[in-house]
Amino acid sequence: MPEPTHTLEVTPSLPIPGFLTGEVQSKMAYVDEAILAARVAPSGELIKLTLTQEANPSRQAEIAAKVQRVVTSLVEGAMQPKIQVLEDELHRPVPYQVDPHPELLARGEISQEAQGIFSLGPLVTRLIDYFEKRFLELAAYFDAAPYRFPTLIPARYLERVNYFRAFPHSLTFATHLREDLDAIDHFAQHAACDEHGLNITLDSFSPIQTLLSPAVCYHLYFALADQPLPGEQVVATAVSNCFRYESTNLVSLERLWNFTMREVIFVGSKEFVLDNRETARLRMRQVFEEIGLAYRVESATDPFFIGEFRKQSVFQSAFQLKFEIRARLPFKDSTLAVGSYNYHQNFFGRHLNISLPDGTPAHTGCVAFGLERMAYAFLAQYGLDPQIWPAAMQEALR
Amino acid sequence: MNTDENQNLTNQIQALLIESLRVPPDQITPELAFGDLPQWDSMGHMEVMMALEAQFGVEINADTIAALISIPAIVAYIQENGHA
Repeated sequence: MPEPTHTLEVTPSLPIPGFLTGEVQSKMAYVDEAILAARVAPSGELIKLTLTQEANPSRQAEIAAKVQRVVTSLVEGAMQPKIQVLEDELHRPVPYQVDPHPELLARGEISQEAQGIFSLGPLVTRLIDYFEKRFLELAAYFDAAPYRFPTLIPARYLERVNYFRAFPHSLTFATHLREDLDAIDHFAQHAACDEHGLNITLDSFSPIQTLLSPAVCYHLYFALADQPLPGEQVVATAVSNCFRYESTNLVSLERLWNFTMREVIFVGSKEFVLDNRETARLRMRQVFEEIGLAYRVESATDPFFIGEFRKQSVFQSAFQLKFEIRARLPFKDSTLAVGSYNYHQNFFGRHLNISLPDGTPAHTGCVAFGLERMAYAFLAQYGLDPQIWPAAMQEALR
Repeated sequence: MNTDENQNLTNQIQALLIESLRVPPDQITPELAFGDLPQWDSMGHMEVMMALEAQFGVEINADTIAALISIPAIVAYIQENGHA
């Protein structure tokens, strides 16, 4: 990673309202490869960029112009979303106040393979197994059918549900060498890694037909596509690797490029999906109380890219489509989304032609839990010594 | 509002949707609702909301966005709150 040698300060063309400073700051990672870090002043009147290398005036102007495009796109005509809090246990007392990341690294409980990519040791793995057990209990309550989904997802699938327009910045592409003896032989003889990565030109690779999957439930919707829904409703559960590239926003186990998500998925009528989403929330409330998690459940929006952010986020908020479980991170007086309760209306039913017995498009929803984040938030609240963990967890992990 | 005025407002809303959603006039029926056309999706809905704000002075907030999901609902709301 190059040392930062220069900073660039940009005065936004529009003042950034407080409810958007975090969003603008996180989007700065995608503005220019020269940006190593970004900070939006709390006043919203200044953006300070740390660059990977010194930039001449014309290069600075180029970067500043791109920053302004992001600001204008996110801020112009923005409406403050109404935050609805469904559960507030954020100030439940917890015994730990320190970032567990350094100690996890020092103990060998996690090891970093690359930015956003970690291996997990026995303690974190057992903790995740425990949470998985609780999530599977939730799935069993709904008699959810178990599924296993692939890590890869066809590009045409994501195109069909508008994913390329909504989240282009976080896509991870999968390809392979072209079926060409010369290309394969050249690769075998010359492939090597330098500080920029693999030194092979793109023309050695086949056109991209697949990506690493960004979500679990999409696979179920595609399995149900273009046919009437079998029966009136489906409840399924699966755990899968998910991939969302977050550039310089990738931090510890908080924000991984490759993470694992357990989902319980509902397909059926609007009432069926919404009722089950609510039932799932109430059942998980008991689980979080049992494990002593300090958290809040509040309305949220997905991290849409700039082209769709303003409209989609307001829409999501107005229809209360997404509620996040935000666990407290005491060491930085902040919260981390460890799961979410989602309702997609009949978006997938319409786009994928999944129909109910009356011929109308099916509604879908899911409850999703980020397993690494769940473990990390718990460790941030209770530390690495199981002796001070809640009794229910000590018992289960014994 | 009498029947003629009501029909006139419905026609205005239908014209607004034709423009906002960029769809042929014959696809906009008087009872059309969110989700009935591929174009009236989440992005299309927000286009409709912004057009209503510009044309009728309707305040767009979470409540109106969630409530104005059909032509009859929009017509009823404009009758009560709009400034044609």
